Amino acid sequence: MESATVAVEHGHAEEHHGPPEANKSSRIDKQTLGILLFIVSEVMLFGAFFASYFFLRVVVDPPAWPPHPYELPVAVAGVNTAILVSSSFTIHYALESIRRGNRNGLKLGLILTWMLGLTFLFIQLNEYVHIGFSARDLAFGSIFYGLTGLHGAHVFVGLILLSFATIRAMRGHFGPNAEDHLGVEVPGIYWHFVDVMWIVVYTAVYIL
Amino acid sequence: MRISEEAVFRWVVIVGIAAGSVIALTLLTQPLFGALWGLVLVCAGVAHGYRWLKSNS
Repeated sequence: MESATVAVEHGHAEEHHGPPEANKSSRIDKQTLGILLFIVSEVMLFGAFFASYFFLRVVVDPPAWPPHPYELPVAVAGVNTAILVSSSFTIHYALESIRRGNRNGLKLGLILTWMLGLTFLFIQLNEYVHIGFSARDLAFGSIFYGLTGLHGAHVFVGLILLSFATIRAMRGHFGPNAEDHLGVEVPGIYWHFVDVMWIVVYTAVYIL
Repeated sequence: MRISEEAVFRWVVIVGIAAGSVIALTLLTQPLFGALWGLVLVCAGVAHGYRWLKSNS
């Protein structure tokens, strides 16, 4: 009896070499799950910055926000918001195009998204140059540059991801099947997250 | 619904419209009303998102 058990265990051990097979979900592929988990961690990071921001606004409660004599360029940032929001539509267009097998639409959508993202970043850097205060000026300056700079860093990372996707699209790497354009879908999800975060940053910092 | 870029894009549109209403209310009245309306929308969004996730699990 004991020898039979040992034989079975021995046979079982011979079947499996290396680590066990990873469980696969039929609802979500591992790349999409990875970017969603990453986004969850990023939401927590932004949450920490927003907690600081609202602490300064509500608990410290300065007499004016932004403190006198500082002013925020609401209109310029509004135009920048429109630019970034429109880039979400162009990345969606790129993905819709490749889902229908339209490679030119994919390339056009990716290039437009990349250019809009770069324009956003350029306008934000230009805003920093002309805004008239630095991160050293009060807690207001620190949290302003902290929040907008954190977002700007995310836009920069998104642009790098989009560069890879665009180069691959130019080389004809993607196809209409869902598993054949994950290299655009994953950066696309990340780009939408960056877009949503900016909408929240703009509303909280520039408008409220 | 499969979790994909399409589903995330829908959320971008929803958040954009919600933020637009907060911005409009703030500019028409005062920041406090906009902030309160934003808080209501965030609570509604969290509740809707939770139900959406539960229905997909």
